[in-house]
Amino acid sequence: MTDTQVSRVRMTGISKRYGALQSLDNASLDLKPGEVLGLVGDNGAGKSTISKVLSGAVIPDAGTIEIDGREVAFTSPADARAARIEMVYQDLALCDTIDVAGNLFLGREPKRRIAGVPMLDKKLMHERARDMLSNLGIVIPDTRMKVENLSGGQRQSIAIGRAASFNPSVLIMDEPTAALAVAEVEAVLELIRTVSQRGVSVILITHRLQDLFLVCDRIQVMYEGRNVAERRIEDTNIEDVVNLIVGRKFAARSAGHNREKGVSS
Amino acid sequence: MSSEPNAYASHPPRMREATILDKVVANGGVMSIALFFVACCLFFAVTTDAFLTAPNLLNVIRQSAPLLIVAAAMTFVITTGGIDLSVGSVLALTATLSAAALQAGVPWPLAIVLMLLLGGIVGVIQGYFIAYERIPAFIVTLAGLSVIRGFALLITGGYSIPIEPTSPFVALGRAWVFGIPAPALIAIVILAVAYIAFNETHFGRYVTGVGANAEATRRAGVNTRRITLWVYVLSGMAAAAAGVILSARLGSGSSNAGQGFELDVIAAVVLGGTSLFGGRGSLVGTVLGALTVAVLANGLILSHLSPFFTPIVTGFIILVAIWLNFRLFRGGAKGR
Ligand SMILES: Nc1ncnc2c1ncn2[C@@H]1O[C@H](COP(=O)(O)OP(=O)(O)OP(=O)(O)O)[C@@H](O)[C@H]1O
Ligand SMILES: [Mg+2]
Repeated sequence: MTDTQVSRVRMTGISKRYGALQSLDNASLDLKPGEVLGLVGDNGAGKSTISKVLSGAVIPDAGTIEIDGREVAFTSPADARAARIEMVYQDLALCDTIDVAGNLFLGREPKRRIAGVPMLDKKLMHERARDMLSNLGIVIPDTRMKVENLSGGQRQSIAIGRAASFNPSVLIMDEPTAALAVAEVEAVLELIRTVSQRGVSVILITHRLQDLFLVCDRIQVMYEGRNVAERRIEDTNIEDVVNLIVGRKFAARSAGHNREKGVSS
Repeated sequence: MSSEPNAYASHPPRMREATILDKVVANGGVMSIALFFVACCLFFAVTTDAFLTAPNLLNVIRQSAPLLIVAAAMTFVITTGGIDLSVGSVLALTATLSAAALQAGVPWPLAIVLMLLLGGIVGVIQGYFIAYERIPAFIVTLAGLSVIRGFALLITGGYSIPIEPTSPFVALGRAWVFGIPAPALIAIVILAVAYIAFNETHFGRYVTGVGANAEATRRAGVNTRRITLWVYVLSGMAAAAAGVILSARLGSGSSNAGQGFELDVIAAVVLGGTSLFGGRGSLVGTVLGALTVAVLANGLILSHLSPFFTPIVTGFIILVAIWLNFRLFRGGAKGR
């Protein structure tokens, strides 16, 4: 990962205001091909907002986005999808009354033509949905189940499966493991490793700081809509990251469990 | 430790094959209206002589064609989480204008096309305010209800405009094709197309998506505003088709036609199990709901009750049917 390499994503000077609240204030983000970036920050720091800007779901007030060195202007999520940017949203963005396969394929359902009229190819959708889920090791009993009848973790798995299965070049995961059990968290981290080895750039937003140290190459810290720090993973430790997140020396016990490691490095 | 693996291994699978009962419960909305429809038919078959006769049943189908057509389109609207209160007024406007157009010498096929176009334009205007200006559908179409009815009254001065009985136009409402009334045939074709569009096409899928989670559907790259606009175009055109058929059947266009029609349509759709909150719709349910509303009106008249009883009974039935729907079938399909 040399500095001469063209960035997969380069966001500069991104600002977004919601009424009186400056959600993003001249924020930036840089991501190389195959790199895993951990995006951390306090609640309300603007992590979800900047990733939604990249996924086309939020239009920024100012700033530029470059994908593979070419400037783009996303006017809708469809544009970002066309640029092969996929996102697991924090709120999952699933349609409760649509079945599992329908949610996986939402917005890009396979077509078949009957007398020239394009129709949903439901059979193909269910077949491919089963393959997609089993490739990712996700256990859902039936792709015909409505998403509203799944457990919280199963729903999260569907959202991850949807983002990971359509050959993304940038994969954004906004707290993908919040509802997952131990084995499923491991599977997601493993997924991040394998896709990044294939050259997919990944943005991982999480409050489980120990996970960052398992998969990330670099960590970017945001505070009140601004970038405040950036660290290569080998140059930092959990305690350092916690202090950067809250903006001062922090002595909370939840941050102390890795103290030995932190002191030694 | 040694006994623990058994706790994981030796259980029967948690999913069993869906039984017929599972399927009945999962389709609770449609099943309860189907039962209710059959019960209504049986009741009137037993209590009146005339109900269960071929002429009467064909008459019911013929008269309910406008209701069926508009209810099919309204199913799309309500499934997006919207509502269209203007359909009764659009029906009145197109009924009067088609009569006026024929009187002015416009050829009848052109008159029909113009009416459908008018309904579509009304839908575009209302849909624009709802989808692009984000004004609640209830408000926009309530205003539409008033404005469009006003136009109909203004054009006719409150009188009804007769249609020449020799015009081929009236065949739309009165002809018989293969032993079936023409309006019923038109309704059947429209219902079949609507069923396929709703269940088998991308458009139908996105209609459900917009009602279930509009933001999620938008983030999936779907142009949700265009989908929303289109459902109002559909309901406007369906109301126009209903207006044309009604004026053809009655042989005149009256600006007072279709008073309260929107309520019958919404009742039919909701009776059929489509959720007013959006995301859940059933066209089979809508057909059964519309036929139930039609059979009730017909049966009550045949029972020699005052026709003024019809709205009272219909209102009660709607409340009871939906209450039963909530109580009986809530468990299976939806836990929350
Ligand atoms: N649609 C919106 N309307 C108004 N304010 C918003 C909107 N979206 C985000 N905000 C505000 O922008 C700020 C940043 O929100 P964002 O969701 O990006 O935070 P976050 O870093 O993802 O936090 P968390 O860790 O809690 O998910 C918050 O203060 C939030 O209230
Ligand atoms: Mg967030």
